Amino acid sequence: MNLTVNGTTHDVESGPLATLLDVLREELGVTSPKAGCEQGGCGACTVLVDGEPQRSCLTPVGALDGASVTTVEGLGAPESLSPLQQAFTHHYAAQCGFCTSGMLIAAEAYLKRGGTDDREAIQEALAGHVCRCTGYVKIIDAVAAVARGDSFDLTVTAPSPGMTNLGGVS
Amino acid sequence: MKAVGARLPRYDGIGHVTGRTTYVDDVRVSGMLWAKALRSPLHSATITSFDTSKAEAMPGVHAVITHADVPLLEYGHLSALGIPADEPLLAKDEVRYKGQPIAVVAAEDEETAMAAVEAIDIELEERTPLFDIRKAFDADAPKVHQWGNWYTHFEGEMDRRQIRKGSVDDAFDKADTIVQGVYRPAAIEHVPLETQVALVVPEASGRLTIYSCTQALYFSMGVVAAHLQVPLNKLKVVGGTVGGGFGGKVDTASETMCALLAQRSGRPVKWRWTREEEFLCSSTRAPWHMEIADAVTKDGWILGRKMLTLHDSGAYGRFSPYGLTKHSFHHTGAYTIPNLEFDGYVVFTNRVPTTAMRGFGVTSVSFATETHMSRIADVLGLDPYEVRLKNANRIGDTSPNRIVYTDPSTVSVVKALAGGMDVELQPEYAAMSRDPREGDLLPEHLVGQMANPEDH
Amino acid sequence: MAVHKGRGIAAIEYPTGMNQNGDPSQAWIKVKPDGRIDVFAGTSDIGNGSKTIQSQIVAETIGVPYDWITYDNSNTDSSPVCTGTFASRATFVAGKAVEKAAERVKERILDIAGKELEIDPSDLEIVDGEVLAKGAPQKKIAVPDVAAAATWTYGELITGTGAQLKDFASIVDPETGEVDSPPHSAISYAACAAEVEVDDETGVVRVTRLVQVYDVGRAINPTLVEGQIEGGAVQGLGLGVLENCYPYYPSAEHRGGQFGSYLAPGFEDLPQIDTIIIENPSADGPYGAKGIGEMANNAQPPAIASAVYDAVGVWVTELPITPERVLRALEAKAEPTRNGKTFVFDAELSVNAVAQGGIAFEVPA
Repeated sequence: MNLTVNGTTHDVESGPLATLLDVLREELGVTSPKAGCEQGGCGACTVLVDGEPQRSCLTPVGALDGASVTTVEGLGAPESLSPLQQAFTHHYAAQCGFCTSGMLIAAEAYLKRGGTDDREAIQEALAGHVCRCTGYVKIIDAVAAVARGDSFDLTVTAPSPGMTNLGGVS
Repeated sequence: MKAVGARLPRYDGIGHVTGRTTYVDDVRVSGMLWAKALRSPLHSATITSFDTSKAEAMPGVHAVITHADVPLLEYGHLSALGIPADEPLLAKDEVRYKGQPIAVVAAEDEETAMAAVEAIDIELEERTPLFDIRKAFDADAPKVHQWGNWYTHFEGEMDRRQIRKGSVDDAFDKADTIVQGVYRPAAIEHVPLETQVALVVPEASGRLTIYSCTQALYFSMGVVAAHLQVPLNKLKVVGGTVGGGFGGKVDTASETMCALLAQRSGRPVKWRWTREEEFLCSSTRAPWHMEIADAVTKDGWILGRKMLTLHDSGAYGRFSPYGLTKHSFHHTGAYTIPNLEFDGYVVFTNRVPTTAMRGFGVTSVSFATETHMSRIADVLGLDPYEVRLKNANRIGDTSPNRIVYTDPSTVSVVKALAGGMDVELQPEYAAMSRDPREGDLLPEHLVGQMANPEDH
Repeated sequence: MAVHKGRGIAAIEYPTGMNQNGDPSQAWIKVKPDGRIDVFAGTSDIGNGSKTIQSQIVAETIGVPYDWITYDNSNTDSSPVCTGTFASRATFVAGKAVEKAAERVKERILDIAGKELEIDPSDLEIVDGEVLAKGAPQKKIAVPDVAAAATWTYGELITGTGAQLKDFASIVDPETGEVDSPPHSAISYAACAAEVEVDDETGVVRVTRLVQVYDVGRAINPTLVEGQIEGGAVQGLGLGVLENCYPYYPSAEHRGGQFGSYLAPGFEDLPQIDTIIIENPSADGPYGAKGIGEMANNAQPPAIASAVYDAVGVWVTELPITPERVLRALEAKAEPTRNGKTFVFDAELSVNAVAQGGIAFEVPA
């Protein structure tokens, strides 16, 4: 069987019951999808399969002959970051970074289907993706900024909306 | 341009958003074996027989390690603080918690390693476990630990952490009201998105390269060196890029087990914990039991505090004595309370050992003392901001362990919070600062607390 | 049956640095022939941002752009000792070691620049990668030229090391707990207000808003500070109303082994978070910083518990405040028992009620 990953077509040698996650990471060396739980519960392994977000840890590769898979490597490289990758940088939406690939893919799918900057809609679209570091605030900020069509200065980061600095006070 | 104070982008941010940041699980080496552990299926048991020969003979199995293969079986993470070692790397004669590792296996792939684990013959004689720390002191309680049911090695071989200051009895005599309550925060899991993972590569030089998710490179190197009884130049720990920790990746043991398997097999060995292992077998934040009785005046001064803390350490000590000490040092919270009687115990139970987690030792006491503070305000019919401002620690006050506060900000943060919540404070409270006490803010019970911060 | 709103507050403090100290961090820095800076430290970045913060400290201390810094914490062969990223010490303790190493590097750069410019080094400063004569900035030499001169003219490797080690604080009296020196490197302070909605039919507590104040000493990077505070807030929310390894504690059964059965906070739990930062500098931290990473999840649980009481008039003091616990508390409507002037809450949970042996918690009558 074959699989097109980020535009390159590969013959897949793993058996049909191998998970897409294992095929990507162990056979093809595409390591942005993470084995966060291998239970379908955290979202860190999410990739686009023919444009739709799927938990690659629960997807047997046998069902995907001829499919086209997009991972974060396919969104953009350091010198050609996609708007979402720029937004995650500018809005400090990644701390440890381990959930980030899945978040980016889910957000990409949300925006592709016409998602807006409505915060509740973003929360609903990304629900089921667990982040333990950020408290989600800046992830939502980043996705909303792309939905609005913001452009991003990558030499600085943006403050959170509810932020006040009083300086030194007694 | 100024760097400090600037909203500069994350140093490794581009790596994160392009999927190029290399975590331990992303490292690729050829010839790598997978590790799996035989873990105790019971909470408490004696190991009556144990045979790994079938597992060792299986095709694709390259190493099986048990307690007998560990040069130094027990290592104390905090021996430098006088906390002795109590926990074996791999269980020897008994198991004290469900999930405790007994043996580790390295094989060609995960499935073979799992099959080898299942092929280990083990017989266990189940014992009655202890789970309720409140019952650990009962004469007929099951015995959990080699030291008994609670830690007995605080300074002076005391069996508890104790704070004594002033006279609690006087404070309770003088009090208008005494408010007593019990506070019990739960065990929680760290939930890093990256589960515990280690990869150890035996080098031609005889060194071991240890790829680790540790929060503490040198700490972990010391642990491996001690268990293996090798000097530090035999080890190279590679890491520094961690997929979340929150305290749960300080006392990891998987590096050591992979190192032993790598030595035995001569092959690189990786152990990536499953999420289920991470949830069920990794250390947790401790559950705590705290009781507080505060002697208060009708206008809201806290004259004295009596407190009992039981810290559920799980089956072994790990960092718990340290965490309880930290807890005791902060049991007055952000306030100055002159008369104190604190007793805290590290109690053993047959659950997964508890460990450091964000706010270690203090998260619990903050919950207890601050909920209690709100109860005091409610019982007395006082404003919760004002009770806090009144008792807030000030420059020159002394802490439970008699350290002088030189730069406390309690008044600042409470006033700022009132501002943020559009709460108007009475003028005398709005005018407060952290400056040394005087006038109405220096009542008789606090006179003896004052010190000159210049002296410290 | 209705949804009730409530508010509660908490104020907390937290020690920066390992309790009782004795935990060293070290750093060394070398300068490449073109003036770019290599920093070696052993601090793991667990998402907290220590690579970023320590790079900023070096850039600021030497006086060069942030993007001149290469930060390497990758292995124990090249990085010196750091006990690790815990105890809110990565900025304060490890950052201080890096600052000290950078000061040494700056001294060497100024010394060599002084020779090149024939000006006393004490009359020089470094601004944006250039060494300038104070008061006469037209007399200058770029740091890359200084580094080149060190390499090719003077045969010197510009380097600097730094170490931070606070003495161990001994407990001199185990009876009283008295220590001989501060067991912390600094103390940080915070306050939090929680707003909740409690459904008295389902028992569900929804945290709708957290207003939080943190004295961070100095925000080396305000965005990263917000990241710590917001992430901590949501973990504190988890502690308050969601998370529990042992749903029927002290029983060890019914543990959740999946994300579906362990309630880590998700997008759907996120309240409005308003953050107020105060910068009362610490005496010893790098640029006055304190450590706030850990305390960021300590103030929410008590604020939430008080807000639940404000909303529905019951104290739930076992965490998390689950729907089951709220409903049981609403059913019991427990009042404190009065014993003279003593108000006894939660008597049913006390060891007084269960202990038979070595400990008892009793209060003077």
